[in-house]
Amino acid sequence: MHAFNSVVLRLRALFVKSAAERDLDEEIRFHLEQETEKNIRAGMAPDEARRRARLVFGNVEVAKEAHRDTFGVRWLQDLVADARFAARSLRRSPVLAGAAVITLALGIGANTAIFSAVNGVILRPLPFVNADRLVMLWESNPEYHWDQQDAAPANVLDWKEQVAAFSDVAMYDDGTSSLTFLGRNGPELVQAATVTGNLFSVLGVRAEIGRTLRDAETWSPKGATNRVLTVSDRFWRNQLGGDSTAVGRTILVNGREFTVTGVLPPTFNFISPDVDLWVPEGWDPGNRSQVFFRRAHWVRAVARLQPGVTYAQANAQLQMVIRRLQTQYPATNRVMGGGMTPLHDFFIRDTRRPLTLLLTAVALLLLIACANVGNLLLVRALARWREVALRLALGAGRGRLIRQSLTESLVLSVLGGGAGLAVGWFGTRALVAMQPPGLLPVDQIRMDWSVLAFVAGVTVVSGILFGIAPAVWNGHRMPGDALKEGTRGAGMGHRARRWGSGLVVGEVALALLLTVGAGLLVRSYWKLTRVPPGFDPAGVLALRLNLPGLKYDSAGKVVAFYEQLEQRLRGVPGVDATGLSEEVPLTSWGWTSQFRAQTWPADRYGSEVAHRATSAGYFAAMHVPVVRGRNFGPEDRRGSPPVVLINQSLADQYFRGEDPIGQRVSFDRIPDSTSTWYTIIGVVGDERQTSLGAETKIQFTTAFAQDPSNGMYVVIRTSGDPSAIGPAVRRAVHDADPTLAIASLQTMEVVRAASLARQRFFMTMLMLFAGVGVVLAVVGVYGVMAQLARGRRREVGIRVALGATAAQVRWMIVRHGLRLVAFGLALGIVGALFTARAMRLFLFNVSPGDPPTFIAVPLLLLAVSAVAAWIPAVRASRADPASTLREE
Amino acid sequence: MPNPQSDVLRGTLDLLILKTLTLEPMHGWGISQRIQQFSRGVLDVNQGSLYPALQRLELKRWIDADWQTTENNRRARYYRLTPQGRRAVGTETDSWRRYVSAVEWILATS
Repeated sequence: MHAFNSVVLRLRALFVKSAAERDLDEEIRFHLEQETEKNIRAGMAPDEARRRARLVFGNVEVAKEAHRDTFGVRWLQDLVADARFAARSLRRSPVLAGAAVITLALGIGANTAIFSAVNGVILRPLPFVNADRLVMLWESNPEYHWDQQDAAPANVLDWKEQVAAFSDVAMYDDGTSSLTFLGRNGPELVQAATVTGNLFSVLGVRAEIGRTLRDAETWSPKGATNRVLTVSDRFWRNQLGGDSTAVGRTILVNGREFTVTGVLPPTFNFISPDVDLWVPEGWDPGNRSQVFFRRAHWVRAVARLQPGVTYAQANAQLQMVIRRLQTQYPATNRVMGGGMTPLHDFFIRDTRRPLTLLLTAVALLLLIACANVGNLLLVRALARWREVALRLALGAGRGRLIRQSLTESLVLSVLGGGAGLAVGWFGTRALVAMQPPGLLPVDQIRMDWSVLAFVAGVTVVSGILFGIAPAVWNGHRMPGDALKEGTRGAGMGHRARRWGSGLVVGEVALALLLTVGAGLLVRSYWKLTRVPPGFDPAGVLALRLNLPGLKYDSAGKVVAFYEQLEQRLRGVPGVDATGLSEEVPLTSWGWTSQFRAQTWPADRYGSEVAHRATSAGYFAAMHVPVVRGRNFGPEDRRGSPPVVLINQSLADQYFRGEDPIGQRVSFDRIPDSTSTWYTIIGVVGDERQTSLGAETKIQFTTAFAQDPSNGMYVVIRTSGDPSAIGPAVRRAVHDADPTLAIASLQTMEVVRAASLARQRFFMTMLMLFAGVGVVLAVVGVYGVMAQLARGRRREVGIRVALGATAAQVRWMIVRHGLRLVAFGLALGIVGALFTARAMRLFLFNVSPGDPPTFIAVPLLLLAVSAVAAWIPAVRASRADPASTLREE
Repeated sequence: MPNPQSDVLRGTLDLLILKTLTLEPMHGWGISQRIQQFSRGVLDVNQGSLYPALQRLELKRWIDADWQTTENNRRARYYRLTPQGRRAVGTETDSWRRYVSAVEWILATS
């Protein structure tokens, strides 16, 4: 009660100051009156009485100050007064204030934008119940260099049952599938995820309407007819009318009937934001004992830890079970390892490092901005040295002066922070718009309280950072300076100019760091674009179709459809050639296996070989050469001996020195009587399967006619602009089968560009930051050079009077500037050599000490700084020596 | 609650004010005159310093104040002791006595 009352009194004193002060005034007046009267009664004259009364009372103002002090809010009142003073003085120098605010806005804004991304991606926890208890389970295989890879369902089921630390384990197919949904407007393709029934309970997600899936629905014995699925909120609104009758309704997907169990919340996002249908796995219970269920790795597994169990304990149990499985199932599990990663960490594993790189870059940018503003304030402090000295002479405390200076810096930084918030808001939107789709979860990136708190913190820290130099300089003034006359600046601003030079050296070094980083990324990107993809993307269109299994239930029907479609497409004007392929290069790739050649000894086998099926026409359409042997031909049909093509890498790696043509291979490590033997008929050129940056995989290509799948790409080579024939292609597909929806239709150029999108995005961001950093540093160089030139005015005047030419004067000043810049560049280069090493993972075929970058960037910065130093030098050389010398 | 760590010397003025107020409520000038009487003019109070001290005591809730009219029909602010203040006088006096006896002991033994 006492504390509260005193707080109330204090606050009252602060805000309702006038009332308390009026009271005190009246009290003191009464006191003085009484004392005066006492003196008069003692016989003094009225004037004398009053004088004595005042004498005995002591200094009224000091008493009032002391009285006010007892409230303990003196510092706050001082702060408010200082802030008002700072605002007034900033208004008097609008150019400086404007420059400082813009500089800070850039620095703080960039930091805000990047931080909002970091916040949304890295810092914000997953939106699931107790998300820190969720882990991702994965398998690894040191032989194949598999790490954190998909798991085989049989293994996961064993983990689920044998690891007590897991309260439940759910699985989902890695990736999503495109299914055809027969809606009101005809067939449409929707993205579906295939999951075990307990996925939603493991994540802790409930349906908005109806229910999600049940664990029992994971298993669907052969012949079971009641299929169910759960839909997303978006699908429910757009396709099912958005009303409650949707639950329990039957819909037609890929020709099969599914009952809708319920609708998920609109904010639910897992695997991919495009998923509309959540379909249970529907495994046959008999699968569990089959080899493929333990050998094929295609699921991701999410486990929830039991309450109270630590991560380490759970991992230890998991490893024990994994070892047990290794001995129990040697054929499949002998070298299979596994492990777990916290779910959040797993999802951000690809974006964490690049985002950290960007955050470092904008932090450096902010430092450069603070150095610039610090210099501006230092110059201003220098100009106001007389005012400061005067105030010291009048009795202002040094501490008060320093506080005042810092308050001014804080006011400036708050203004800059406010502007930076606006810049950051736009920056965040730009970031989200520019990022390659799917890289960052855009719905998570927004300005929320954490971002605001970050901006506030950065604002205060920046204010202190750039405020220290001028504050300290002000604090070192001597009151005696007030007596000094003239601008004998040589001694006066010496330390301030030293500070200014130091700041510029630092700025240049930081700018060099940023630019080298950007330069390395640019070189990497350039090298990436020069990697030959193995095919010719110019003029090629890629059409992706997924034939529904119910309608195209036999190999014959699939082959017939695609051959017919190719014929239609070849009839479209502008089309030169067509081909079929299960996969196209530069996209994510399919399955891998081991293999054996018939002539090899028993212990020799090949591993990690990729597979796909293509038609004969594919190679011609994509301009992939057939290097040896022959292409597929009409003789390679269903029922003919199985044939296969190998790519150059496979030939080099496993058939060096021998002729692969005619050899027979099987796709099992240990072939048995059921294995199929394929004859190698030819060698084709390498294509980059996943990306330009990744090595070409060794690959088998089977013939489409012998090994068709429902989902195929049709590649179409055109003589003109490929996108121009888009409508004709759609019409051809529609004519071939009106119920078919097109999964995607893109030019291969677009595919190629998309495969580089990630690198391009980060490179662009870093270039942007480096660019702004260089601009700021150059402005800083200019500012300091102008300051230095001003300081040497008398010297210049004397030199000119003694006969120096303008060119000599210019060179003298520029040389001074270049010396500073060179020093900064040297520091920067040393620093960059270290930091570039940390960037190694982002570089492609570029060493961290890449000579072209390390030569070009310093030269560029030197040139730009030379221009910045030139201008004040020119101005100094033009000054009239007589007037400078007269200026005293 | 009286603060046992309060600086006794600084509290001398506070103590004197409190002692003055144990007799009767009084305004600021009156307190200064009474203190001068107590100390027989030896303690020449810088009268202005009375007011911060009064403020301190008021914030500690040891004294209470309100505006009243004097005999001469003037407005003055009268201070009086609160119950906590009354308790504090006892404690302060004790600690003062302890301090004084300590000083005497030191002086006696040196």
